[in-house]
Amino acid sequence: MSVVDPVSPLGNTLVPGRHGAAGDGAVRIAERRCDLVQVFARKGRAGDVAAAMLARFGSDLPGPGHTFDAPAFSALWVQPDGWLLVAPRSPEGALAKSIKAACGDTASVVEQTHGRSVIALSGGRAAWVLGKLSSLDLHGREFGPGRAAVSPVAGLSCVVHHRDAAPSYDLIVFATFARWFVTSLTHAAEETGYIVE
Amino acid sequence: MTQGFRTQTGGRIDRSQTLAFRFDGRSYAGHPGDTLASALLANGVRLVGRSFKLHRPRGIFSAGAEEPNALAELRGGARREPNTRMTTAELYDGLEAASQNRWPSLRWDLLSLNGLIAPLLSAGFYYKTFMWPAAFWEKVYEPLIRRSAGLGRAAREPDPDRYDAVQAHCDVLVVGSGAAGLAAARVAGAAGARVTLCEQDFALGGGLLSAPAHGAWREATLAALAAMPDVTILPRTTVFGYYDHNVVGAVERVADHLAQPPPHTPRQRYWTIRARSIVLATGAHERLIAFPDNDRPGIMLAGAAETYASRFGVRAGSRALLFANNDAAYASLFALQDAGIAVAGVVDPRTESAGAEAARARGITVWADSQVTGASGGTALVGARVARRGAGGGDTLVVADLLCVSGGHSPAVQLASQGRTPLEWSEALAAHVPGPATLDQHSAGAANGVLGFAEAAADGARAGAAAARAAAADIPLPGAGDAAYGLLPFWEADVPGKAFVDLQDDVTANDIRLAHREGYKHIEHAKRYTTHTMGTDQGKSGGLVGAAVLAAARGERVQDVGLPTFRPFTSPVTWGAIAGPHIGQQFAPTRLTALYDWHVRRGAEFMDAGQWLRPAFYPIPADADAWASVLREARAVRKTVGICDVSTLGKIDVQGADSAAFLDRLYTNTFSTLPVGRARYGLMLREDGIVFDDGTTSRLATDHFFVTTTTANAGPVMAHMEFHLQTCWPELDVQLASVSDQWAGMSIAGPKARATIGKIVQDLDLSDAAFPFMAVGDGSVRGCPVRVLRISFSGEQAYEIMTPAGYAETVWTAVLEAGEEYAITPYGLEALGLLRIEKGHVAGSELNGQTTAADLGLGRMVKKRGDFVGRALSQRPGLTDPDRPVLVGIRPATRHDRLRAGAHLVTPGSTESLGWITSVTRAVELEGWIGLAMLRGGAARQGSRMQAAFPMLDETVEVEITSPHFVDAENLRVRG
Repeated sequence: MSVVDPVSPLGNTLVPGRHGAAGDGAVRIAERRCDLVQVFARKGRAGDVAAAMLARFGSDLPGPGHTFDAPAFSALWVQPDGWLLVAPRSPEGALAKSIKAACGDTASVVEQTHGRSVIALSGGRAAWVLGKLSSLDLHGREFGPGRAAVSPVAGLSCVVHHRDAAPSYDLIVFATFARWFVTSLTHAAEETGYIVE
Repeated sequence: MTQGFRTQTGGRIDRSQTLAFRFDGRSYAGHPGDTLASALLANGVRLVGRSFKLHRPRGIFSAGAEEPNALAELRGGARREPNTRMTTAELYDGLEAASQNRWPSLRWDLLSLNGLIAPLLSAGFYYKTFMWPAAFWEKVYEPLIRRSAGLGRAAREPDPDRYDAVQAHCDVLVVGSGAAGLAAARVAGAAGARVTLCEQDFALGGGLLSAPAHGAWREATLAALAAMPDVTILPRTTVFGYYDHNVVGAVERVADHLAQPPPHTPRQRYWTIRARSIVLATGAHERLIAFPDNDRPGIMLAGAAETYASRFGVRAGSRALLFANNDAAYASLFALQDAGIAVAGVVDPRTESAGAEAARARGITVWADSQVTGASGGTALVGARVARRGAGGGDTLVVADLLCVSGGHSPAVQLASQGRTPLEWSEALAAHVPGPATLDQHSAGAANGVLGFAEAAADGARAGAAAARAAAADIPLPGAGDAAYGLLPFWEADVPGKAFVDLQDDVTANDIRLAHREGYKHIEHAKRYTTHTMGTDQGKSGGLVGAAVLAAARGERVQDVGLPTFRPFTSPVTWGAIAGPHIGQQFAPTRLTALYDWHVRRGAEFMDAGQWLRPAFYPIPADADAWASVLREARAVRKTVGICDVSTLGKIDVQGADSAAFLDRLYTNTFSTLPVGRARYGLMLREDGIVFDDGTTSRLATDHFFVTTTTANAGPVMAHMEFHLQTCWPELDVQLASVSDQWAGMSIAGPKARATIGKIVQDLDLSDAAFPFMAVGDGSVRGCPVRVLRISFSGEQAYEIMTPAGYAETVWTAVLEAGEEYAITPYGLEALGLLRIEKGHVAGSELNGQTTAADLGLGRMVKKRGDFVGRALSQRPGLTDPDRPVLVGIRPATRHDRLRAGAHLVTPGSTESLGWITSVTRAVELEGWIGLAMLRGGAARQGSRMQAAFPMLDETVEVEITSPHFVDAENLRVRG
């Protein structure tokens, strides 16, 4: 439906360029514009939802603390019988509609594309920077690619998704807090330096 | 700038480089590797401070964190840092330091006259001296105490530096890098554990730094640790607190050793470390001995004097006398002798000892079975008096400018004790040692009561293996030394005089006895009464000595008297580190609506609403003042049309087959009867029957609702719903999602509201017939999806348009353009408040946690049949009392008299408050001020006059009691 590009909640909080300390430890900070959809299995219907998601999208619905990368989206476990789907931008509402169409009344589907912000943090010292804002243990023995956690970051409710071994993290926060969150993140990254593209 | 007391060779300082620094305005020189204390001693500076209460001259007493005397203000201006221990302050080029607690100068301190009235300043003098006359407290006593008490001065300017905080995890945390700590870290690291090693000193090695013979082992162990990728070593990091579940707090002094931190580098970093297992290798603190004038500059712990000689290449004096009750202190004395300090002799309360034999072999005089009975000298030690113990005869004056004292060694059990480990008494040490730990915690080395480098390292290796849950790895250990200790418990010379047990707080042995005589017999009471162990050093050198004096007074054993509870902070921490990055705008999160940038461009004045920043009003040049803006905005709504950002409302998506039943149980009214496409105002009670929140709920599909809450209760209502769903009614098929951030919202209100949005809303018939009051439907505006609700807070014809937040400005701008012909006016939170007060809608001031539905005139919203949260307790007699205050309207009898929220409503001549004003505003529909109030018998009083009394400003205003609905009481406009 939409002919208008949605506006980012970040405004111009992230200024492109290299900031903070010099040196080769700089991390990268970027906003990832994504489609976000919450999927909940209705009471006693988790098996049906899983079957529908597998049949239609080739996606497993991961268990607590884990994620699954399907062709169309990544599925992140965020609560019992509840997942957050993260996908590249598509026409407004299209992903949510396709999920609802696939699951019917076995699932409740909630559009969150505008309600959450995805901030990508990556680089060799990303875990050090994240350690200033989060009490998660990000060491490779405890966390890693394919893992996700719902935990406060910078004092805000956040979904932390370890996407790849770079390491890259997606930090998914409520959109109305996104500017404050990014400001906290860039402050934390000044010691290592950070690059915004 | 001569360093007359620096040795030619030896120590861990770099003589090839010179660092210039200033103390009390005078220039001195030191070397890299020095502390401020070692550099001052090298320059012959002995007097460095004045004591807290009596302003007695004081010198450097220790070489570490236990320092009671040598506190300085470091740096200047905004970076001035008071109460810094000179013994831990790392010297850097250009360091500025000043002594504290003296005026006009350190040498001539007026308040040292306190010493003459010392008998009046005994234990508990605060409680005795300043009791009467009571009127003197604020005007005389408190200013006097504030002037003379306290230590250094904090900076008054904002701190220009940044402070960081970080969270870390490890398998094994090792605290302390002495022989035990290094061995523990190496064993645990070799076993594959993730190890973090914290050392408060800037150099790693603890006591090894003063033991050149073990230098090679230290180097080899550090090299092995550096090669282990999962071992993190944090020097300059003080672990100050041990909390539940093996969480510890530590502060890393990242840049305190620099004049100012490099760009983007914090000055200090606060570490929160969660460790599976903790090895405490914190060493031991040497104890003082109480004897008359044992606080004179030149009196120093024996181990400290050895550290200055061996680690820093500094002679702490020219002629040293040792007063010790153990053999370890003799080794310290021999190190001084080897560094070129003349030795006056040893005073030892023991009759015979291995140490005494060794001393005599070195040609040193030993006064056995003797004690020091006094010290001579004012600002510098001249000598000490020595006498046989128990003998009535005279004493000998021994000339010395350095008196080394050792009353034994107390394991540093502070952290172990904070970590719930019970303490046990060691007869051999006459000190507490850690008992069996309850947490995964292992004390090692001197902290565990194990003395000697070889023995401590072996104990550390054992602890490291246990912490890593591994077999003890075979690591090299330092060679064994002389382990003789032979301690005789000896706490106090048995002669009269001012014998200190706490140098920083000026607490003497007599003060402890006085506390005992006056009934403060428990160690915790004696501590509070005398201030013993309450200083920045937390009694590390004298805590047990004071306990021993108290034990003697009680006629009990020291171990039966015990020590005061150890609590964080074991060592002082700066406030900057505690605040960390959470200062200024980063103190707490700020929440912004999707329209924030538009509001800024429009020149809005913002106000805090919880975490939100919301426009209060939008001033224009023609507005004389803020009220002019607010009244102009409110009038626009009443006359034509206004638009307000209401994105902050809480929004909850409720889905599932049992959604309607769920809402019926939560709200006082019924939602299962609500048709799809309609909204209903809902009221929610707390469990106790008091009104919790209100809002509108729309039915989007049979199994899908869209709930709105007040801005303030968005989080609490969501939590309330989740709580009931998860714990009370888990059988219900309901799914909840917060969509507060997904949807931006704007209220378009006024007689021209429909005319305005009718021009731009597509795919939705807004005609009155198709879309009546309380209708809900989806449509679009300029290609953006919208959800339109026909609801009103102002009492006018009004619509709320919700749109996904990324489209908010597009839709908002479209509405503004459509409303241009009606001079559509953006209105802020102030006008919103004005309009709702005129309409008599309740908000936060009325939903104040004390009011019932009936109090607020909302009794008709409580369903007659069916249960809901809060029903049972809302029927308590206290909540159904007909005499409860109820909502009324208020107008001043003289229309332009000002009303004030909080004013009490009284009948003329009475002081009995019958109610209070909750909200006030200037009105636009009526003349002058109006208000809402809670009033006893309010319904019956409508039409009568009362007085609104505001005693804080001595104001009384005659008011009329009215209906709370000042505007359109029949509610016709909203349907128009």
